[in-house]
Amino acid sequence: MNKCADVAAEHGVLNLADYDHPSALVYGIGNVGRQDDGLGWAFIDWLEHAALCPQAELLRHYQLHLEDADLISHKQRVLFVDATKDSQVDTFRIERVTPRMDFSFTSHAISVASILATCEQCFARTPDVMLLTIRGYEWELQEGLTPAAKNNLDATRNHLISISSLTEPIRRYQ
Amino acid sequence: MSRKLVIDPVTRIEGHGKVTVHLDDQNRVTDAKLHVVEFRGFEKFVQGHPYWEAPMFLQRICGICFVSHHLCGAKALDDMIGAGYSSGVQMLPTPEKIRRLGHYGQQLQSHTTAYFYLIVPEMLFGMDAPPEKRNVLGLVEANPELVKRVVALRKWGQEVIKAVLGKRMHGIESIPGGVNQNLSKAARDRLLNGEDGLLSIDQVIDYAVEGVELFHDFHKKHRDEVDRFAKVPALNMSLVDDEGNVDYYHGKIRIVDVNKDTVAEFDYHDYLDYFAEATEEWSYMKFPYLKELGREEGSVRVGPLGRVNVTKSYSDDTPLAKAALEKFHDYTDGKANDMTLHTNWARAIEILHSAELIKNLLNDPDLQGEQLVITPADSAWTGEGVGVVEAPRGTLLHHYRANRDGAITFANLVVATTQNNTVMNRTVRAVAEEYLDGKAEITEGMMNAIEVGIRAYDPCLSCATHAMGQMPLVVSVFDSNGALVDEQVR
Repeated sequence: MNKCADVAAEHGVLNLADYDHPSALVYGIGNVGRQDDGLGWAFIDWLEHAALCPQAELLRHYQLHLEDADLISHKQRVLFVDATKDSQVDTFRIERVTPRMDFSFTSHAISVASILATCEQCFARTPDVMLLTIRGYEWELQEGLTPAAKNNLDATRNHLISISSLTEPIRRYQ
Repeated sequence: MSRKLVIDPVTRIEGHGKVTVHLDDQNRVTDAKLHVVEFRGFEKFVQGHPYWEAPMFLQRICGICFVSHHLCGAKALDDMIGAGYSSGVQMLPTPEKIRRLGHYGQQLQSHTTAYFYLIVPEMLFGMDAPPEKRNVLGLVEANPELVKRVVALRKWGQEVIKAVLGKRMHGIESIPGGVNQNLSKAARDRLLNGEDGLLSIDQVIDYAVEGVELFHDFHKKHRDEVDRFAKVPALNMSLVDDEGNVDYYHGKIRIVDVNKDTVAEFDYHDYLDYFAEATEEWSYMKFPYLKELGREEGSVRVGPLGRVNVTKSYSDDTPLAKAALEKFHDYTDGKANDMTLHTNWARAIEILHSAELIKNLLNDPDLQGEQLVITPADSAWTGEGVGVVEAPRGTLLHHYRANRDGAITFANLVVATTQNNTVMNRTVRAVAEEYLDGKAEITEGMMNAIEVGIRAYDPCLSCATHAMGQMPLVVSVFDSNGALVDEQVR
């Protein structure tokens, strides 16, 4: 098993089939005008082109806002997808998000954990939230992923397809 | 040993700033500066691009006030194709009102972010409270109902932007000479009446009224501290209409002094005749000033406090905001208000004003009009345009020139934060003298007081330097020899 799969195994398998439901949200964060910052949106592009999770709500946004706490309060399962500069992430990382006020807030940046904590505090709802981060390398004012980031996106997709095919595809929200 | 204190980055402002405070051997403040150390780039990036790309391209300077940049660019393009104010062309009613709707929606949303997310926590918890408490996430734990309302208010503002510009950030609405769509009746009714999970306009106005009352309550309890904090003299500048009332979208530039006497009033297309920009080697942000008065006397304050100082009143069709403004004006007996923390009072009033303006527009059938654009003859092409709007943080200017092939050859952006550069530096100095002078120890509360002073302007340093990306605050301490003796990064 490769390093990515180790990470996934540690935090639980991300089965894309679980997101094929109207009460699921897949939320790509990023900016396609900033090279590898477009990874989150590219992931959403792939879901759309491959007709995966057609019942889920798919969103692309530049950044998180506090009102996303309201948005996810209406969902049962949420997958955030973002690019990361973290060198500890070899290719991609999948983690289950727990509510946490980590005080990272500026009006330009707020963490997924804080969004979930706000959702819990203000709306008394705690959806199942996963965060998929894909390693990027360049953030210059230019369209298009770098070849290395594209490879990481491909690896992420291949991994998710293989995992999803190995796990029970039909598990829904009773 | 004299010392220099540096705060870098200034937290909870947009962009990257650094504050340095120089202390002498007795710990007395000898100098204080707000440095902006990011490189500006957008004015160069845009050169060579087709002119029509500018409003789309340049709005990406900012993730907060992008609608202002978009509209400012659009107004410049109107001029450029010969369909703008510089050619004496009045925009058609529908596109002008559509543009205004997006503009007011962004002001409501942007002010809500600054006021409720960044400033109210400081008001409620005090500037001495630990940083992990005095932010909106601290507010979530202390008063989730308030945060729920704020989230709803911001969400509503974003829905206005989305309805007008197509998406919640960096959408496209304005095209040279007009807009690309009107507002459908369904979209109008949704914003007017609300729906499950979305406020109605009347609820928005109610929440905005509560926002003003929140400041009144805070002010009642902390009057001396609020009024004394960084009283900074400056001229005040805003776009105004023919009645002398603020017009956030279009008008002439008026500058008033402390007695509210007009010291300059002009068509913004002539800005180069009136303004010059000074530079300092320690900051990338320029220092605009009125040429006639010189840099010391001719620097202006823009934004909420500048605007409410300049405007004579609000129109009768925004009665709640008008009454709130009268109370504000009465507090200083008709003189201009130079109390920095009253900027937050002004900001709360402008949230209410925006909400009432939006309600009026939503009830205007012109928003469903079919005439969306003026398309002048090729011969009307001027190749040059200037756009000015009152962005949430103050007067914003875009100036472009393009060659006959339509490629941009020149761009100049003068953003609100740049206009406020001198007054922000004065504020830093005033706060440093009040809170740091003669003190041997630099406390967390003192450090934060400097941030509070800067944050009142809600500066966007990424806008001001036209740089890109997330930029965090740094504070450093130097002795009289310039040696760094302390530094804090948050």
